[in-house]
Amino acid sequence: MVLKNNQRTLVFLLSSIGLITFPHFWHIPLSIITFFYALLLWRFIGIWKSHWLPHKIIVLLIMLGGIALLLNHFRSFLGRDAGTSLFVIALALKLLEIKKDRDLYLICYLAFIVASSQFLFGQSMLMALYILLVCCALFTSLIIINSQQSKPVVAIKKSATILAQALPMTLVLFFLFPRIQTPDWVFLNDTNTNAITGLSDTLDPGSITSLALSPELAFRVKFENNNIPPPRQRYWRGPVYSYTDGKRWTESQQYINPSYMDTPKYKGKAYKYTLLLEPQIKNWIYTLDMPAQFSSGLYKNPRHQLLTQKQSNNRREYQLVSYPHYNTGYITKAEFRENTQLPYPASQKIITFIKQLKGFNSSPEDFIKTLLDYFRTEDFYYTLKPPLMKQKPIETFLFENRRGFCSHYATTFVYLMRVAHIPARVIGGYQGGEFNSIGKFLEVRQADAHAWAEVWLENKGWTRVDPTAAVAPERIERGVDINKQIAQGLVNFMSINNSNAYSWFKKSHQLLQSLDYNWQRWVIHYDTGNQANFLSSLGIKNLKIMLYWMMGLIGFITLCLTIYLFKNNDTSIDKASFYYQKFCKKLAKVGLQRQPNEGANDFYTRISQRFPTQKHQFKVITALYNQQRYGKQPTKKVLQQLQKTVNQFKIKVNIK
Amino acid sequence: MQTTLNNLVNAANQIILGKEAQIRLALCCLLSKGHLLIEDIPGVGKTTLSHTLAKLLGLNYQRIQFTSDILPADIIGCSIFNTEKHEFSFHKGPIFNQMILADEINRSTPKAQSALLEAMEEQQVTVEGKTYQLSTPFFVIATQNPNHQIGTFPLPESQLDRFLMRIELGYPDYKAERSLLMGENRQQLISCLKPQITAEKLALIQKNCAKIHASSPLLDYIQAIINYSRESADYNEGLSPRAGLGLLTAAKTWAFMENRDAVLPEDVQVVLPAVAAHRLKHGSTNAEEIVAPLINKVAIP
Amino acid sequence: MKQLKLFLKKLFKRHYLDKKSVTLNHKRIYILPTQRGLNFALLVALLLVISFVYNNNLAYLLSFLLASVFFITILHTFKSLAGLIISVSKAHSAYVSEDVVVDIYLDNPSILERFNLTLNLNNTKTIDLPATQKRLVTLNSPTLKRGWHYCEPITLACQYPFGLFKAWSVLHFEVKALVYPKPSTENNPFPELAGEQAQQGNITKGHSDFYGLRDYQEGDSIRDIHWKSMAKGQGLHSKDYRGDLLTELWLDYSQTFGYDSEQRLSQLCRWLIDADNSGLQYGFILVGLTLQPSSGSCHFKKCLTALALF
Repeated sequence: MVLKNNQRTLVFLLSSIGLITFPHFWHIPLSIITFFYALLLWRFIGIWKSHWLPHKIIVLLIMLGGIALLLNHFRSFLGRDAGTSLFVIALALKLLEIKKDRDLYLICYLAFIVASSQFLFGQSMLMALYILLVCCALFTSLIIINSQQSKPVVAIKKSATILAQALPMTLVLFFLFPRIQTPDWVFLNDTNTNAITGLSDTLDPGSITSLALSPELAFRVKFENNNIPPPRQRYWRGPVYSYTDGKRWTESQQYINPSYMDTPKYKGKAYKYTLLLEPQIKNWIYTLDMPAQFSSGLYKNPRHQLLTQKQSNNRREYQLVSYPHYNTGYITKAEFRENTQLPYPASQKIITFIKQLKGFNSSPEDFIKTLLDYFRTEDFYYTLKPPLMKQKPIETFLFENRRGFCSHYATTFVYLMRVAHIPARVIGGYQGGEFNSIGKFLEVRQADAHAWAEVWLENKGWTRVDPTAAVAPERIERGVDINKQIAQGLVNFMSINNSNAYSWFKKSHQLLQSLDYNWQRWVIHYDTGNQANFLSSLGIKNLKIMLYWMMGLIGFITLCLTIYLFKNNDTSIDKASFYYQKFCKKLAKVGLQRQPNEGANDFYTRISQRFPTQKHQFKVITALYNQQRYGKQPTKKVLQQLQKTVNQFKIKVNIK
Repeated sequence: MQTTLNNLVNAANQIILGKEAQIRLALCCLLSKGHLLIEDIPGVGKTTLSHTLAKLLGLNYQRIQFTSDILPADIIGCSIFNTEKHEFSFHKGPIFNQMILADEINRSTPKAQSALLEAMEEQQVTVEGKTYQLSTPFFVIATQNPNHQIGTFPLPESQLDRFLMRIELGYPDYKAERSLLMGENRQQLISCLKPQITAEKLALIQKNCAKIHASSPLLDYIQAIINYSRESADYNEGLSPRAGLGLLTAAKTWAFMENRDAVLPEDVQVVLPAVAAHRLKHGSTNAEEIVAPLINKVAIP
Repeated sequence: MKQLKLFLKKLFKRHYLDKKSVTLNHKRIYILPTQRGLNFALLVALLLVISFVYNNNLAYLLSFLLASVFFITILHTFKSLAGLIISVSKAHSAYVSEDVVVDIYLDNPSILERFNLTLNLNNTKTIDLPATQKRLVTLNSPTLKRGWHYCEPITLACQYPFGLFKAWSVLHFEVKALVYPKPSTENNPFPELAGEQAQQGNITKGHSDFYGLRDYQEGDSIRDIHWKSMAKGQGLHSKDYRGDLLTELWLDYSQTFGYDSEQRLSQLCRWLIDADNSGLQYGFILVGLTLQPSSGSCHFKKCLTALALF
């Protein structure tokens, strides 16, 4: 197919616009995206059949149609989705009205805006790469429009070069351009579908089982100085379930006055870490048991759970300090009431069971130990697929099925404690996490979701007790093998030696995760606070110095680029010419000017008549030059020889 | 191979005196598989030159005298009714020789001219729906009188473009003229000549000529020459792409004859008058004068 | 925009002339954003606002990328002109109200291919210049009156690659060409000839020596037809005779007619052209100048020059 120049331009421009809008397929209403691609297709056909293009009046009608479509969906032009749709529709309409180069430029500019709007919906690395490529295509279109460049390859090369050269400056601007904390714009609040479900606020026996099959990321943790707690301490504390109706466990709605509570005492080693939490529906923060210090914007409720002030749709980063050893001190009356709550008196069977284990007359510590031993020695199983226990779940589990997941063990344990008048509660959260050895951080996934118990003990305060550890110690020590677990639908733990056949797979997976983590930390999540932290670590303390640095670095980059662009980048063939010119200049000094149309051999004949004594030297230089410049294979050796002879060459003027 | 060629040139020099440059150009043209046009007034040795070359190259040779009443059939051949077999049989014309001297081509009518030139271009002739291949190698040396002479049909530009080179012989100089006057009969000398080269060797040389390297600065130079001819006010029309190709081929052959493995700008300059002059419209008729701006004003890159 | 252009023209006006050949360097090249470039800057600003409103770092990154590209384009646009060598070859003479054609050479000594170079005088030419190539570009300059014509400065501009910036250089070459009077359109006959046999309208014909055969033209005398060739079936040919029967043709200013000197010069110019076209020998008389009869382009030029500078 032979295309005329302007047709080629249009084909290129329309294709890149088609590409740039493509990811919006998942973002904006289908009718609008269909509207866009229909018009694009129309315009595409119009390249060859220009009489098919619509008349002005029809364009006006289509425009009205587009606006109607928009209003029908959003009833406003504000907000992310509506704004994006507006630009997409405007772009589509502009396509039908291309008359001059100016219109083409406007289309390109609109396309850049649409490209930018893609980032409002997703900020993955792949998307960024995609948009970068499409931007390259758009810049290529600009070149083709501007210069009627008939060779697209040259234009693509040029735009790619310029983009590559623009990258260092972009990075400097990105890291040093002052960020201002954006206020929360009320009118922009669109529903966010990105947030992940995570733990729910009621704990029934099935709720954690569903999470156990999800490989979704919950959060990532980077420890300061790579000071990572051992697996058995990796309890990520979340919601506290202390109210039960016999079947379900929920958070207690009772008010506990924190001023009556004891202040916890922390001891032992502190862990300082950064938590990068995926978007959550709840305002819960998962912290290493037990959090002591936390960044602003967070607060700790009387049940020692960390929460955010406001619920946020975005990925957030928090700086935290936790101590694995702590003592929460005395228990208040309200707390005691809350954590010994039972829906109805315990059945005779349970009371007999507790009596058997000497639950009523031994110390709580002893009772816990006996109970855990009971779980360990009797035939209890840890399984993902326990049988349904609708009526009297605790008794059915304890005396009949004896198969259950962590939530079964935790709830049963807490129930039994409460019957024995020991304050206890169920804690939801995550346990474990996979260490990414490339990025040096812990990845915690939904499949790591876990439930355990907390018991209040005299002189120790709230103490963590995990009955699952008694049944399935591997769960705690090694963690969950998520890929296998999902593949088989059964409980699977990590094997002890990781050096098996699929470790390369694991490595590449870790690499990707690590890239993504850094992407999140350094690009997506680079905000006012991060900027301040990062820059102060480089010694840039205030805005003024920051601006100086920015200007200085931009100036430096410009200087480097200028030198790079304007330096003499001769190829070796041209260097031959360069040395030959040098030779000619030497001869020009004695009045033998080589004419621009004079071949080297002709010049040789002329000069050797004038200086017959140096005929041989002339001959060598001429031969080398001809060989290098016109010969079959110009070589470095010949070039060096030419350089040497030319540099040594001197005219011997005979003074007569 | 170069020695063979030198012997050949020397032998030709013995017959046509004082015209070594022209002989070399003519040979260069033939080695480049091109056709040659010799333009000059009668009697300066056009026929002798072509005859000599044919003899030395060992090609079978036929002269066609173009007159105003020559017909295409006189050149190509015609079908004659064979009374014994009761069918038409094709009698091949003089064009089925390896070397043809088309003498005074501009004396004939355009019809006859185009018959020859078409055969030159296509290397084959079609008579009554049947196609006949011409012999290989196939050279045409055409001679023509200067156009201003009376009773001539000058070749149109499109036809001129098919000749790779046009050369002029000119009068011999004083010394050559004297030896010519004193020497033997040229015809006799020619008949005594022996072929210096075999057909296989000729084909090999032609193949080798095409293999000579042309570097990118050299191609730039040729392109600059062509561009100049197209854009400068010195010429009404520029050189055609065919002219450019011809220039490169001829320069390659010249470089081969000079015993080099790569083309130099000088080679281009040497063959330029012969290759380009007849394709350019210019006030002057002298080939050197016509191409002088091309040689003088286009800088060697 | 127009006023801005005029202002810029004034600003860059120079009072000295350039040498015959100029190499473009940083002193010669000016660079400013175009309308499109300013729009692009607006686009970047808009993208920054979007990024700020949504606090979206990737949108920030895109805006910064575009801003950097915008900035770097300055260097690239500059580079597409830098190092070019522009030289004036010659300006061709013309008749009044025709355009003087100026031959300009644009030489690209670097190994970088140049695109979209625009040369502007009265007309605009756009060319691409491959590496190490030299190109001839012809520009026109309109003429209004007779005599020496000095061309306006030549502008060489380039908007490559994106059209966001325009780099240009104004070249004040001394380009001058002779402008001859406009040849009169009236087809007045030549002035009376000195010779006795000369007839108007048939000047070229003498009847002395046989010169050759030519195709028959309507109006040729029957006596001149070459009957022999007709009999051979070669068509009609006329015999052509040439001779130096013509005594001298003098083109004299005093013999022209017209209201003013310009009209008379224009008439004289017309005669000159006619005489040259017919290949006649002619003498030329202008006030205070007499050129002996001769022919050929050199003589013709001499006469025209005298007319132009009268």
